[in-house]
Amino acid sequence: MHQCQPFIIDRVTTILHIEDNRANQVLVERVLTAEGYHITHADDGESGIQAAISGKPDLILIDMGLPDIDGQTVVTHLKQIPNLQTVPMVAITAWPAEKALETAKRYGLSGCILKPIDVKSFPIQIAKYVEPGR
Amino acid sequence: MSKVSQYRSQNTLSQVDNVRPHRFFQQLWQPNRHLEMRRADKFSLQQLVEAYNQTRVDYIVPMPMNVARLNEYIKLYDIDLTASWVALKEETIHGLGMLGIRKDRAWITRVGVLPSGRRKGTGRAIIERLLQSAEERHLTTIWLEVIKGNEPAYQLFLTSGFQPTRELVVARRPPDLREFSGNGYFNGENIVRMVDVSRSTAFNLLDKRHARPNWLIESESFYNVPDLQAIFVECEDGAQGWAICQPDKFQLKHIVVEALQGDPASVSCRLLKALHERYFTRDAIMENLPEQDPTWQGFKNAGYFDVFRRIEMVKNGHQN
Repeated sequence: MHQCQPFIIDRVTTILHIEDNRANQVLVERVLTAEGYHITHADDGESGIQAAISGKPDLILIDMGLPDIDGQTVVTHLKQIPNLQTVPMVAITAWPAEKALETAKRYGLSGCILKPIDVKSFPIQIAKYVEPGR
Repeated sequence: MSKVSQYRSQNTLSQVDNVRPHRFFQQLWQPNRHLEMRRADKFSLQQLVEAYNQTRVDYIVPMPMNVARLNEYIKLYDIDLTASWVALKEETIHGLGMLGIRKDRAWITRVGVLPSGRRKGTGRAIIERLLQSAEERHLTTIWLEVIKGNEPAYQLFLTSGFQPTRELVVARRPPDLREFSGNGYFNGENIVRMVDVSRSTAFNLLDKRHARPNWLIESESFYNVPDLQAIFVECEDGAQGWAICQPDKFQLKHIVVEALQGDPASVSCRLLKALHERYFTRDAIMENLPEQDPTWQGFKNAGYFDVFRRIEMVKNGHQN
Protein backbone atom coordinates (compact mmCIF):
# COMPACT_ATOMS: atom_id res chain seq x y z
CA MET A 1 0.00 0.00 0.00
CA HIS A 2 1.31 3.32 -0.98
CA GLN A 3 1.55 5.96 1.65
CA CYS A 4 0.83 9.47 0.53
CA GLN A 5 3.78 11.74 1.05
CA PRO A 6 2.97 15.23 2.14
CA PHE A 7 4.18 17.73 -0.38
CA ILE A 8 4.55 21.48 -0.41
CA ILE A 9 3.52 23.64 -3.32
CA ASP A 10 5.91 26.54 -3.71
CA ARG A 11 3.63 29.52 -3.70
CA VAL A 12 4.71 32.19 -6.11
CA THR A 13 4.56 35.72 -4.78
CA THR A 14 2.01 37.71 -6.75
CA ILE A 15 2.35 41.43 -7.33
CA LEU A 16 -0.52 43.51 -8.67
CA HIS A 17 0.72 46.45 -10.70
CA ILE A 18 -1.86 49.21 -11.22
CA GLU A 19 -0.49 51.37 -14.03
CA ASP A 20 -1.98 52.87 -17.19
CA ASN A 21 1.25 53.27 -19.14
CA ARG A 22 1.92 50.17 -21.24
CA ALA A 23 5.68 50.75 -21.46
CA ASN A 24 5.93 50.95 -17.67
CA GLN A 25 3.84 47.79 -17.31
CA VAL A 26 6.15 45.88 -19.65
CA LEU A 27 9.29 47.10 -17.90
CA VAL A 28 8.08 46.20 -14.41
CA GLU A 29 6.88 42.79 -15.58
CA ARG A 30 10.17 42.03 -17.33
CA VAL A 31 12.30 42.95 -14.33
CA LEU A 32 10.20 41.27 -11.66
CA THR A 33 9.29 38.12 -13.59
CA ALA A 34 13.01 37.45 -13.97
CA GLU A 35 13.24 37.54 -10.16
CA GLY A 36 10.55 34.90 -9.74
CA TYR A 37 7.52 37.04 -9.04
CA HIS A 38 4.17 36.62 -10.71
CA ILE A 39 2.88 39.96 -12.01
CA THR A 40 -0.72 40.88 -12.75
CA HIS A 41 -1.77 44.19 -14.24
CA ALA A 42 -4.64 46.62 -14.04
CA ASP A 43 -4.86 49.62 -16.37
CA ASP A 44 -6.86 51.94 -14.14
CA GLY A 45 -8.09 52.46 -10.60
CA GLU A 46 -11.47 50.72 -10.81
CA SER A 47 -10.06 47.59 -12.45
CA GLY A 48 -7.17 47.72 -9.96
CA ILE A 49 -9.60 47.63 -7.05
CA GLN A 50 -11.43 44.67 -8.60
CA ALA A 51 -8.17 42.84 -9.31
CA ALA A 52 -6.98 43.39 -5.73
CA ILE A 53 -10.23 42.07 -4.27
CA SER A 54 -10.39 39.00 -6.50
CA GLY A 55 -6.68 38.18 -6.60
CA LYS A 56 -5.53 39.14 -3.09
CA PRO A 57 -1.96 39.82 -4.18
CA ASP A 58 1.05 39.79 -1.85
CA LEU A 59 2.04 43.31 -2.87
CA ILE A 60 0.31 46.13 -4.74
CA LEU A 61 2.30 48.63 -6.77
CA ILE A 62 0.26 51.72 -7.63
CA ASP A 63 0.93 54.52 -10.05
CA MET A 64 -0.33 57.75 -8.47
CA GLY A 65 -1.62 59.20 -11.74
CA LEU A 66 -4.36 56.95 -13.12
CA PRO A 67 -6.91 57.96 -15.74
CA ASP A 68 -10.12 57.26 -13.82
CA ILE A 69 -9.41 57.54 -10.08
CA ASP A 70 -6.01 58.65 -8.87
CA GLY A 71 -3.70 56.34 -6.97
CA GLN A 72 -4.26 57.96 -3.57
CA THR A 73 -7.99 57.36 -3.78
CA VAL A 74 -7.43 53.76 -4.89
CA VAL A 75 -5.26 53.22 -1.82
CA THR A 76 -7.89 54.83 0.40
CA HIS A 77 -10.48 52.38 -0.87
CA LEU A 78 -8.25 49.29 -0.76
CA LYS A 79 -7.31 49.99 2.85
CA GLN A 80 -10.97 49.78 3.84
CA ILE A 81 -11.29 46.22 2.52
CA PRO A 82 -10.63 43.84 5.45
CA ASN A 83 -8.84 41.16 3.37
CA LEU A 84 -6.38 43.69 2.02
CA GLN A 85 -5.46 45.59 5.15
CA THR A 86 -2.24 43.67 5.66
CA VAL A 87 -1.17 43.76 2.02
CA PRO A 88 1.72 46.19 1.52
CA MET A 89 0.96 48.95 -0.99
CA VAL A 90 3.73 50.91 -2.63
CA ALA A 91 3.42 54.02 -4.79
CA ILE A 92 5.34 54.30 -8.02
CA THR A 93 5.44 57.92 -9.05
CA ALA A 94 7.34 60.57 -10.97
CA TRP A 95 6.51 63.24 -8.41
CA PRO A 96 9.33 65.13 -6.72
CA ALA A 97 10.76 62.90 -3.97
CA GLU A 98 9.72 65.06 -1.03
CA LYS A 99 6.10 65.32 -2.16
CA ALA A 100 5.96 61.62 -3.06
CA LEU A 101 7.22 60.60 0.38
CA GLU A 102 4.83 62.92 2.18
CA THR A 103 1.86 61.64 0.17
CA ALA A 104 2.88 58.02 0.75
CA LYS A 105 3.10 58.66 4.48
CA ARG A 106 -0.19 60.54 4.69
CA TYR A 107 -2.04 57.81 2.80
CA GLY A 108 -0.55 55.01 4.86
CA LEU A 109 1.42 53.45 2.02
CA SER A 110 4.25 51.08 2.88
CA GLY A 111 6.62 53.11 0.74
CA CYS A 112 7.20 54.78 -2.58
CA ILE A 113 9.49 54.16 -5.53
CA LEU A 114 10.39 57.05 -7.79
CA LYS A 115 10.16 56.91 -11.57
CA PRO A 116 12.03 56.24 -13.73
CA ILE A 117 12.71 52.94 -12.03
CA ASP A 118 16.28 51.70 -11.94
CA VAL A 119 16.17 48.12 -13.25
CA LYS A 120 19.15 47.10 -11.10
CA SER A 121 17.89 48.36 -7.77
CA PHE A 122 14.18 47.81 -8.42
CA PRO A 123 14.16 44.11 -7.36
CA ILE A 124 16.01 45.06 -4.17
CA GLN A 125 13.45 47.78 -3.46
CA ILE A 126 10.62 45.29 -4.02
CA ALA A 127 12.24 42.63 -1.83
CA LYS A 128 11.95 45.02 1.11
CA TYR A 129 8.21 44.44 1.00
CA VAL A 130 7.96 40.79 -0.15
CA GLU A 131 10.22 37.90 -0.97
CA PRO A 132 9.81 35.91 -4.20
CA GLY A 133 8.43 32.39 -3.61
CA ARG A 134 8.30 32.89 0.14
CA MET B 1 2.49 97.74 -27.70
CA SER B 2 3.93 95.35 -30.26
CA LYS B 3 5.04 91.94 -29.16
CA VAL B 4 8.69 92.76 -29.84
CA SER B 5 8.68 95.97 -27.82
CA GLN B 6 6.73 94.21 -25.10
CA TYR B 7 9.46 91.60 -25.04
CA ARG B 8 12.25 94.17 -25.02
CA SER B 9 10.78 95.84 -21.96
CA GLN B 10 11.44 92.71 -19.93
CA ASN B 11 14.87 93.13 -18.40
CA THR B 12 15.23 89.51 -17.45
CA LEU B 13 15.54 88.44 -21.07
CA SER B 14 17.58 91.34 -22.38
CA GLN B 15 20.89 89.51 -22.15
CA VAL B 16 19.63 86.72 -24.37
CA ASP B 17 18.29 89.38 -26.74
CA ASN B 18 21.76 90.91 -27.05
CA VAL B 19 23.37 87.65 -28.01
CA ARG B 20 21.37 86.50 -31.02
CA PRO B 21 18.30 88.67 -31.42
CA HIS B 22 17.30 87.48 -34.87
CA ARG B 23 17.27 83.79 -34.24
CA PHE B 24 15.85 84.16 -30.75
CA PHE B 25 12.88 86.24 -31.87
CA GLN B 26 12.22 83.82 -34.68
CA GLN B 27 12.00 80.96 -32.19
CA LEU B 28 10.00 82.94 -29.70
CA TRP B 29 7.39 84.60 -31.83
CA GLN B 30 6.87 82.70 -35.05
CA PRO B 31 4.54 79.79 -34.72
CA ASN B 32 5.50 76.59 -36.46
CA ARG B 33 4.43 77.19 -40.06
CA HIS B 34 4.06 73.50 -40.81
CA LEU B 35 1.47 73.02 -38.12
CA GLU B 36 -2.16 72.63 -39.00
CA MET B 37 -4.70 73.73 -36.39
CA ARG B 38 -7.93 71.75 -36.41
CA ARG B 39 -10.99 72.27 -34.23
CA ALA B 40 -11.19 69.81 -31.33
CA ASP B 41 -14.80 68.87 -32.12
CA LYS B 42 -13.50 67.16 -35.28
CA PHE B 43 -11.91 64.50 -33.06
CA SER B 44 -13.46 61.80 -30.91
CA LEU B 45 -13.11 62.11 -27.14
CA GLN B 46 -10.97 58.97 -27.27
CA GLN B 47 -8.54 60.66 -29.67
CA LEU B 48 -8.42 63.77 -27.50
CA VAL B 49 -7.81 61.72 -24.35
CA GLU B 50 -5.00 59.74 -25.96
CA ALA B 51 -3.33 62.91 -27.19
CA TYR B 52 -3.82 64.72 -23.87
CA ASN B 53 -2.36 61.83 -21.86
CA GLN B 54 0.67 61.80 -24.14
CA THR B 55 1.24 65.50 -23.48
CA ARG B 56 1.37 64.82 -19.75
CA VAL B 57 3.60 61.74 -19.57
CA ASP B 58 6.55 63.66 -18.13
CA TYR B 59 4.69 66.38 -16.21
CA ILE B 60 5.27 67.19 -12.54
CA VAL B 61 1.67 66.17 -11.86
CA PRO B 62 0.62 63.97 -14.84
CA MET B 63 -3.16 63.75 -14.12
CA PRO B 64 -4.14 61.46 -17.02
CA MET B 65 -7.80 61.18 -18.01
CA ASN B 66 -10.12 58.65 -19.59
CA VAL B 67 -13.09 59.41 -21.84
CA ALA B 68 -15.57 59.53 -18.93
CA ARG B 69 -13.39 61.98 -17.03
CA LEU B 70 -12.84 64.22 -20.04
CA ASN B 71 -16.56 64.19 -20.75
CA GLU B 72 -17.28 65.22 -17.15
CA TYR B 73 -14.58 67.91 -17.35
CA ILE B 74 -16.11 69.34 -20.53
CA LYS B 75 -19.55 69.56 -18.93
CA LEU B 76 -18.45 70.88 -15.53
CA TYR B 77 -16.22 73.62 -16.80
CA ASP B 78 -18.18 74.65 -19.91
CA ILE B 79 -15.52 73.62 -22.39
CA ASP B 80 -16.49 74.50 -25.96
CA LEU B 81 -14.80 72.02 -28.32
CA THR B 82 -15.67 74.21 -31.31
CA ALA B 83 -13.40 76.87 -29.76
CA SER B 84 -10.70 74.36 -28.75
CA TRP B 85 -7.84 73.32 -31.00
CA VAL B 86 -5.60 70.41 -31.91
CA ALA B 87 -2.21 71.01 -33.55
CA LEU B 88 -1.23 68.51 -36.21
CA LYS B 89 1.77 67.97 -38.40
CA GLU B 90 1.38 65.52 -41.27
CA GLU B 91 -1.81 64.19 -39.64
CA THR B 92 -0.01 63.43 -36.37
CA ILE B 93 -1.24 65.23 -33.26
CA HIS B 94 1.48 67.39 -31.71
CA GLY B 95 -0.55 69.21 -29.10
CA LEU B 96 -3.91 70.55 -28.02
CA GLY B 97 -5.62 73.19 -25.95
CA MET B 98 -9.19 73.76 -24.80
CA LEU B 99 -11.32 76.81 -24.16
CA GLY B 100 -14.04 77.12 -21.55
CA ILE B 101 -16.61 79.88 -22.12
CA ARG B 102 -18.87 81.61 -19.57
CA LYS B 103 -20.69 84.81 -20.54
CA ASP B 104 -17.96 87.21 -21.69
CA ARG B 105 -15.11 85.22 -20.13
CA ALA B 106 -12.89 82.46 -21.45
CA TRP B 107 -10.67 79.94 -19.70
CA ILE B 108 -7.72 78.23 -21.32
CA THR B 109 -7.16 74.68 -20.10
CA ARG B 110 -5.71 71.27 -20.95
CA VAL B 111 -2.94 72.87 -23.01
CA GLY B 112 -0.25 70.36 -23.75
CA VAL B 113 2.38 69.51 -26.31
CA LEU B 114 3.52 65.97 -26.98
CA PRO B 115 7.24 65.43 -26.37
CA SER B 116 7.79 65.13 -30.14
CA GLY B 117 6.33 68.60 -30.72
CA ARG B 118 8.19 70.53 -28.05
CA ARG B 119 10.57 73.46 -28.62
CA LYS B 120 9.08 73.98 -32.08
CA GLY B 121 6.57 76.72 -31.36
CA THR B 122 3.65 74.29 -30.98
CA GLY B 123 2.57 75.58 -27.57
CA ARG B 124 2.63 79.20 -28.71
CA ALA B 125 0.68 78.33 -31.87
CA ILE B 126 -2.01 76.65 -29.76
CA ILE B 127 -2.24 79.58 -27.35
CA GLU B 128 -2.47 82.08 -30.22
CA ARG B 129 -5.27 80.08 -31.85
CA LEU B 130 -7.17 79.84 -28.55
CA LEU B 131 -6.81 83.60 -28.03
CA GLN B 132 -8.10 84.13 -31.57
CA SER B 133 -11.11 81.92 -30.79
CA ALA B 134 -11.81 84.04 -27.71
CA GLU B 135 -11.47 87.25 -29.69
CA GLU B 136 -13.83 85.99 -32.42
CA ARG B 137 -16.44 85.40 -29.71
CA HIS B 138 -15.87 88.85 -28.15
CA LEU B 139 -14.69 87.32 -24.86
CA THR B 140 -12.94 90.15 -23.05
CA THR B 141 -11.20 88.37 -20.18
CA ILE B 142 -9.24 85.17 -20.49
CA TRP B 143 -8.14 83.13 -17.49
CA LEU B 144 -5.86 80.16 -17.04
CA GLU B 145 -3.83 78.36 -14.41
CA VAL B 146 -0.34 76.93 -14.62
CA ILE B 147 1.20 74.51 -12.16
CA LYS B 148 3.73 76.33 -9.99
CA GLY B 149 7.18 75.25 -11.06
CA ASN B 150 6.30 74.66 -14.72
CA GLU B 151 8.56 77.50 -15.79
CA PRO B 152 8.42 76.98 -19.61
CA ALA B 153 4.61 77.15 -19.57
CA TYR B 154 4.62 80.12 -17.19
CA GLN B 155 7.02 82.02 -19.47
CA LEU B 156 4.92 81.14 -22.51
CA PHE B 157 1.82 82.60 -20.86
CA LEU B 158 3.68 85.71 -19.65
CA THR B 159 4.97 86.40 -23.14
CA SER B 160 1.46 85.83 -24.50
CA GLY B 161 0.20 88.76 -22.41
CA PHE B 162 -1.07 86.98 -19.29
CA GLN B 163 -0.39 88.39 -15.85
CA PRO B 164 -0.30 86.37 -12.62
CA THR B 165 -3.14 87.20 -10.23
CA ARG B 166 -2.74 84.86 -7.26
CA GLU B 167 -1.46 81.52 -6.03
CA LEU B 168 -3.96 78.68 -5.60
CA VAL B 169 -3.71 75.68 -3.31
CA VAL B 170 -4.56 72.09 -4.24
CA ALA B 171 -4.87 70.02 -1.08
CA ARG B 172 -5.99 66.55 -0.07
CA ARG B 173 -7.21 64.78 3.00
CA PRO B 174 -7.14 60.99 3.26
CA PRO B 175 -9.86 59.56 5.50
CA ASP B 176 -8.72 58.56 8.95
CA LEU B 177 -11.09 55.80 9.90
CA ARG B 178 -9.72 55.66 13.44
CA GLU B 179 -11.16 59.09 14.15
CA PHE B 180 -14.75 58.00 13.93
CA SER B 181 -16.05 56.03 16.84
CA GLY B 182 -19.69 57.08 16.72
CA ASN B 183 -19.65 60.34 18.62
CA GLY B 184 -17.08 62.02 16.42
CA TYR B 185 -16.78 65.69 15.71
CA PHE B 186 -20.40 66.67 15.74
CA ASN B 187 -20.42 66.85 19.52
CA GLY B 188 -16.73 67.65 19.88
CA GLU B 189 -16.99 70.85 17.85
CA ASN B 190 -19.98 72.29 19.73
CA ILE B 191 -22.18 72.26 16.67
CA VAL B 192 -25.73 72.86 17.88
CA ARG B 193 -27.45 72.73 14.51
CA MET B 194 -26.58 71.15 11.20
CA VAL B 195 -29.06 71.20 8.34
CA ASP B 196 -28.94 70.05 4.74
CA VAL B 197 -29.31 72.92 2.33
CA SER B 198 -31.41 72.67 -0.84
CA ARG B 199 -29.80 72.93 -4.25
CA SER B 200 -31.33 76.33 -4.98
CA THR B 201 -30.23 77.72 -1.58
CA ALA B 202 -26.75 76.31 -2.22
CA PHE B 203 -26.56 78.29 -5.47
CA ASN B 204 -27.61 81.44 -3.61
CA LEU B 205 -24.89 80.90 -1.04
CA LEU B 206 -22.29 80.25 -3.75
CA ASP B 207 -23.26 83.45 -5.54
CA LYS B 208 -22.72 85.51 -2.36
CA ARG B 209 -19.18 84.39 -1.56
CA HIS B 210 -16.91 87.05 -0.10
CA ALA B 211 -14.08 86.57 -2.60
CA ARG B 212 -13.90 85.90 -6.33
CA PRO B 213 -13.65 82.16 -6.81
CA ASN B 214 -11.40 80.55 -9.37
CA TRP B 215 -13.03 79.09 -12.55
CA LEU B 216 -13.03 75.52 -11.17
CA ILE B 217 -15.16 76.49 -8.19
CA GLU B 218 -17.24 79.29 -9.67
CA SER B 219 -21.01 79.01 -9.22
CA GLU B 220 -21.30 77.97 -12.89
CA SER B 221 -19.24 74.84 -12.18
CA PHE B 222 -21.67 73.85 -9.43
CA TYR B 223 -24.67 74.42 -11.69
CA ASN B 224 -23.23 71.55 -13.71
CA VAL B 225 -22.71 69.22 -10.72
CA PRO B 226 -25.66 66.80 -10.61
CA ASP B 227 -25.18 65.45 -7.09
CA LEU B 228 -24.34 68.54 -5.07
CA GLN B 229 -24.42 68.30 -1.25
CA ALA B 230 -24.61 71.32 1.02
CA ILE B 231 -24.77 71.77 4.79
CA PHE B 232 -25.27 74.74 7.07
CA VAL B 233 -23.95 74.63 10.64
CA GLU B 234 -24.47 76.76 13.69
CA CYS B 235 -22.23 76.44 16.76
CA GLU B 236 -22.73 77.07 20.46
CA ASP B 237 -20.55 80.19 20.30
CA GLY B 238 -22.70 81.72 17.53
CA ALA B 239 -20.35 80.79 14.68
CA GLN B 240 -22.11 79.95 11.43
CA GLY B 241 -21.10 78.74 8.01
CA TRP B 242 -21.83 76.47 5.11
CA ALA B 243 -20.02 73.82 3.12
CA ILE B 244 -20.74 72.51 -0.36
CA CYS B 245 -19.17 69.54 -2.09
CA GLN B 246 -19.66 66.84 -4.68
CA PRO B 247 -19.46 63.35 -3.18
CA ASP B 248 -18.89 60.51 -5.61
CA LYS B 249 -18.26 56.81 -5.04
CA PHE B 250 -14.73 57.30 -3.72
CA GLN B 251 -14.08 61.01 -3.27
CA LEU B 252 -15.33 64.34 -2.01
CA LYS B 253 -14.63 66.93 -4.70
CA HIS B 254 -15.35 70.59 -5.38
CA ILE B 255 -15.24 71.43 -1.69
CA VAL B 256 -16.11 75.02 -0.80
CA VAL B 257 -16.59 76.35 2.73
CA GLU B 258 -17.56 79.80 3.87
CA ALA B 259 -17.84 81.36 7.33
CA LEU B 260 -20.84 83.63 7.86
CA GLN B 261 -20.19 84.39 11.55
CA GLY B 262 -17.06 83.85 13.62
CA ASP B 263 -13.41 83.21 12.88
CA PRO B 264 -13.14 81.81 9.30
CA ALA B 265 -10.39 79.32 10.16
CA SER B 266 -12.29 77.94 13.13
CA VAL B 267 -15.66 77.84 11.36
CA SER B 268 -14.26 76.21 8.23
CA CYS B 269 -12.47 73.57 10.29
CA ARG B 270 -15.69 72.70 12.14
CA LEU B 271 -17.65 72.59 8.88
CA LEU B 272 -15.10 70.31 7.30
CA LYS B 273 -15.04 67.98 10.26
CA ALA B 274 -18.82 67.74 10.14
CA LEU B 275 -18.64 67.02 6.40
CA HIS B 276 -15.98 64.37 6.87
CA GLU B 277 -17.92 62.69 9.61
CA ARG B 278 -20.81 62.28 7.20
CA TYR B 279 -18.57 61.02 4.36
CA PHE B 280 -15.99 59.37 6.55
CA THR B 281 -14.74 56.80 4.02
CA ARG B 282 -14.10 59.29 1.21
CA ASP B 283 -10.80 60.69 0.09
CA ALA B 284 -11.09 64.48 -0.18
CA ILE B 285 -9.68 66.85 -2.80
CA MET B 286 -9.83 70.61 -2.46
CA GLU B 287 -8.75 72.57 -5.53
CA ASN B 288 -7.82 76.14 -6.28
CA LEU B 289 -8.38 77.90 -2.99
CA PRO B 290 -6.41 81.17 -2.95
CA GLU B 291 -3.55 80.71 -0.51
CA GLN B 292 -4.49 83.98 1.22
CA ASP B 293 -8.04 82.79 1.87
CA PRO B 294 -8.67 82.70 5.65
CA THR B 295 -10.37 79.29 5.39
CA TRP B 296 -7.11 77.64 4.22
CA GLN B 297 -5.98 77.44 7.84
CA GLY B 298 -9.26 75.68 8.63
CA PHE B 299 -8.59 73.13 5.91
CA LYS B 300 -5.15 72.47 7.38
CA ASN B 301 -6.58 72.13 10.87
CA ALA B 302 -9.09 69.61 9.54
CA GLY B 303 -6.29 67.40 8.20
CA TYR B 304 -5.73 68.67 4.65
CA PHE B 305 -2.20 68.88 3.31
CA ASP B 306 -0.78 70.93 0.47
CA VAL B 307 -0.18 68.77 -2.62
CA PHE B 308 0.79 71.39 -5.19
CA ARG B 309 0.13 74.98 -6.18
CA ARG B 310 -1.21 76.63 -9.30
CA ILE B 311 -0.64 80.19 -10.48
CA GLU B 312 -3.79 81.85 -11.75
CA MET B 313 -3.22 84.22 -14.66
CA VAL B 314 -5.43 86.61 -16.59
CA LYS B 315 -5.33 88.46 -19.89
CA ASN B 316 -7.68 91.29 -20.51
CA GLY B 317 -8.64 91.47 -24.17
CA HIS B 318 -8.66 95.25 -24.17
CA GLN B 319 -4.95 95.38 -23.30
CA ASN B 320 -3.98 94.18 -26.79
